[in-house]
Amino acid sequence: MNDKRPSLPTYALLGVLALLFLYPIWWAISSSLKPAAEIISDPLGFSLADVTLDGYRAMFADVPIGTGFANTALVLVIKGGMTLFFCPLAGYAFAKYKFPGKDLLFGIVLLTLMLPTLVLIIPLLLEMSALGWVNTYKALILPGSIDAFSIFWMRQVIAAIPDELLDAGRVDGAGEFGVFRRIVVPVIRPGLAGLAVLTMMNVYNDFVWPVVAVNDEKHQTLQVVLSTLAQNISGNRIGADFATVWSELLAASSIAMIPLLVVFVLLQRHFINGILAGSVKG
Amino acid sequence: MSLLLRKRAAPYVFVLPFFVVFAAFGAYPLAYALRLSFTKWTGAGEARWIGLDNYTYLLTSPEFWASLGNSSIMWLLVVPIQLVAGLGAAVLLSNAKLRLRGLFRVAFIAPFVTPLVAMAQVWIVVFDRDYGLVNHALNLIGLPDVGWLTSTAWSKPTLALLFLWKTTGFAIIILLAGLQAVPSHVYEAADLDGASRARQFWSMTVPLMRRSLSFLLVIQTLAVFQMFAEPFVVTQGGPYGSTTTAGLYLYDHITASDLGTGAANSFLLVILVFALSLLSVRLLRARDE
Repeated sequence: MNDKRPSLPTYALLGVLALLFLYPIWWAISSSLKPAAEIISDPLGFSLADVTLDGYRAMFADVPIGTGFANTALVLVIKGGMTLFFCPLAGYAFAKYKFPGKDLLFGIVLLTLMLPTLVLIIPLLLEMSALGWVNTYKALILPGSIDAFSIFWMRQVIAAIPDELLDAGRVDGAGEFGVFRRIVVPVIRPGLAGLAVLTMMNVYNDFVWPVVAVNDEKHQTLQVVLSTLAQNISGNRIGADFATVWSELLAASSIAMIPLLVVFVLLQRHFINGILAGSVKG
Repeated sequence: MSLLLRKRAAPYVFVLPFFVVFAAFGAYPLAYALRLSFTKWTGAGEARWIGLDNYTYLLTSPEFWASLGNSSIMWLLVVPIQLVAGLGAAVLLSNAKLRLRGLFRVAFIAPFVTPLVAMAQVWIVVFDRDYGLVNHALNLIGLPDVGWLTSTAWSKPTLALLFLWKTTGFAIIILLAGLQAVPSHVYEAADLDGASRARQFWSMTVPLMRRSLSFLLVIQTLAVFQMFAEPFVVTQGGPYGSTTTAGLYLYDHITASDLGTGAANSFLLVILVFALSLLSVRLLRARDE
């Protein structure tokens, strides 16, 4: 576009919008560092001199947030690992091989793209209980571990690799998997980084399935642990206790959002690539 | 194994893991749910075949329609605002001479990256009637308290605001990418013709962005009708059922162990969501052609 220099109102508008977007995050984190009583008596104020970790101490004592983090990390590593390995592999087959039944099989992949997760919740839960998998890591990890969207995306990425490059690899004596590992994977590294970051965000923030599949403390993911704090609130609205509950809740919420925000700021480009990949399927 | 055979077998081996997982945790439960939707079953004992009873029960149940009504209102509160404001912000951000663009972009996407459950809890605290930040600020400028989460009039807008806050950055990124794909000579020609910026926006940018806009429309329609965590954490569907969205109503069947009805509800919801997506894409196309 042959753009004019943006006017002052443009900057003001974008600036106000940006502040509105950032303020709730800032407010949650800064309030989690305030003495509990002040969250209620002076919600707008913040002074560095009053910073305290009391809310965090109380929260760590009351809530199994460490277990939540550990469970989320475990699910993230295994589920993420499966997505990052199997989805590019399947994408490679759909992008670069001709084989009988390919159109039909890829059609199924496309169809499952449109399947709302909600429809599967009840039958999946029943399946888990029939298998005796309720309250297990298997239940958290396996459903959705190799998903259609990631395959679709990786197929797009791999289709852009010139066939000559792959043939050259075959001439050098690489087997079918060898070509994938030694030629395809290094070339699609930026795409894989995008996939890794997007998968990380989705698994880390996933809530609907974990809250249904797991109800014991030992297996709760971070988000499920967090949601139990909100339930404490409604039953506890009197006096100092109330302020303490809020303080714990803000501490837990803040500590849960910080890891992803840090990753996001550091790997911004991959995040945006990941989000944008979603729009190609439209 | 011969080399040829290996080359023939390879693609099947490569796609097999997906189909195993899909068969076990997608196709099988889906087929099971379909059968379940024709039975009465509470999770224990024998499931009893009752034909279409679950469907007729739901279709004549005021609560089912109320949940769809709540979701529809939520849709009205979220989607039009998000598409218009998102496009506006994307147009401003697409200006090549804009400084600090990276910073604005980070600010807009940051909410999208935060965990929904965490922010839903922050919403409870911020919009609390008695001690919350928002009413505190209103009082400072002489306005009375508002029951953001405790009155039926405000509960939906307050949850819609959470959804808007969290996902508008996503919309902006998608639209920004769409804008950057619009060839610049189109605008140069319009400038020569003397078309105003506002006119260029409505008669060129919007039509040219049809693809990105329909994509967002479909994705966000799906998301609004499946909205679950926001009401589950913030309001538990209240007050007086005013935030019992279609997604939360579905979950209520699980807690009530009314699984046959729940399965039937899932399928009705899927049909509805598909129909809405198709309709919205149709409408968007028809207007411009």
